[in-house]
Amino acid sequence: MSLDPRLRAALLDRLTAMADDELILGHRDSEWTGHAPILEEDIALANIAQDEIGHALLWLEARRQLDGSDPDVLAYSRPAGAWRNARLLELPRGDWAFTMLRQYLFDVYEAELLTRLKRSSHVPLAEGATKAALEEVFHLRHSSLWLRRLALGTDESRRRLEAALARAWPYLPQLWQPLAGDAELAGAGIVPDLAEVGDAAGGRIATALKELDLQTPDTPPNPGGRERHTEELVTLLIDMQSVTRADPAAESW
Amino acid sequence: MSAAAPDGQWPRWEVFKQDAAGKPHQAVGSVHATDPEHALLMARSVFARRPAAVSLWVAPAGAVVAVTAEQLAAGDVPGGAPAGDGTGAAEARYLVFRKSSHRRAMTFVDHVGEVTAASAAAALAAARAAFPEPPALAWWLVPAASVTASPDAEAEAWFAPARGKTYKQQSEYAQLPQRRRKARTP
Repeated sequence: MSLDPRLRAALLDRLTAMADDELILGHRDSEWTGHAPILEEDIALANIAQDEIGHALLWLEARRQLDGSDPDVLAYSRPAGAWRNARLLELPRGDWAFTMLRQYLFDVYEAELLTRLKRSSHVPLAEGATKAALEEVFHLRHSSLWLRRLALGTDESRRRLEAALARAWPYLPQLWQPLAGDAELAGAGIVPDLAEVGDAAGGRIATALKELDLQTPDTPPNPGGRERHTEELVTLLIDMQSVTRADPAAESW
Repeated sequence: MSAAAPDGQWPRWEVFKQDAAGKPHQAVGSVHATDPEHALLMARSVFARRPAAVSLWVAPAGAVVAVTAEQLAAGDVPGGAPAGDGTGAAEARYLVFRKSSHRRAMTFVDHVGEVTAASAAAALAAARAAFPEPPALAWWLVPAASVTASPDAEAEAWFAPARGKTYKQQSEYAQLPQRRRKARTP
């Protein structure tokens, strides 16, 4: 398949953003392994973390097909300034309420994105979206269940959920903020219109919050594109990339 | 939402897994969870992360009436436990499970059918009459009203992804480094 060079560059940026979202969220989720409030949830969240990291690999493999880049090098040797994940996903895992709320917000966005991406004219994108969308059905079930129980559970669970919502809210719109080349990709039928994804996801989230009688925070969106990060990403990468730094040639254990 | 038990744990739920259409649901273990829907999600994460499953049932552990062949031989038969459907009806449906063999280590009782009875004791008597062979090592009777099933409409999303994740199987762990090297070969 031959893509025009501008589309190819735009697609590389889009794939990197999608892969980085999945990998950074998957890593944050994985930080609960051995620390979740109950063994069953520990296993459930470890499964979700593995799924998200698997989705990152789908997009990094699609990127490899375009430019030959090695997914391992991108994941484990790339400096913080080169990552293109949304800032919401790099924030520390916080408490259980923050982890579940962030997962819920991302799951809704991803569900709306993947539903449309299944129709992509770029085959690896359409195939990856079909695979990932199936797993996201279950992720959304899990995070929606927790959103509801935290909201309607105890005074403490509701207070924690409201605090999580206040923390996450300014970062939410960045998930669907278009990249410079996205309009051109959408024109070629390669990715969906991100504004449409954002409207659909934002609408679903607003409806869910209203149903649970949760106030939408009125904080303004955190400004800046995906090239901007918090210092939290740096500490995350120090941990995530530590084995590669210690032994770049490590292949087995 | 159910309250935590005195030991601080969430309530315990028995989990029944069906490996394929046409096979019985089998007791595979239990999970702690707040309510039936939560119990199903926990069951899927704990018991169906590896192949294979097509359906899950959960029931509160306290709703299960269990009796072994030894107890029956000693005349130690469970009494008239509540019907469990909460409607006050005199008769209730009970799902019948039995263990017929010591050969399988990963499962306990298998679902064999159901009976309608006014008490657990009557259900056990009906089950013993309806499913006499081969001799049962243990019986479980579970009020049908206490059982929650995984949603058929979402079966693919719940169970299909595990089939491709062979790396989660213990037998595959040793294969990872080789696979990785293979993947790197241009």
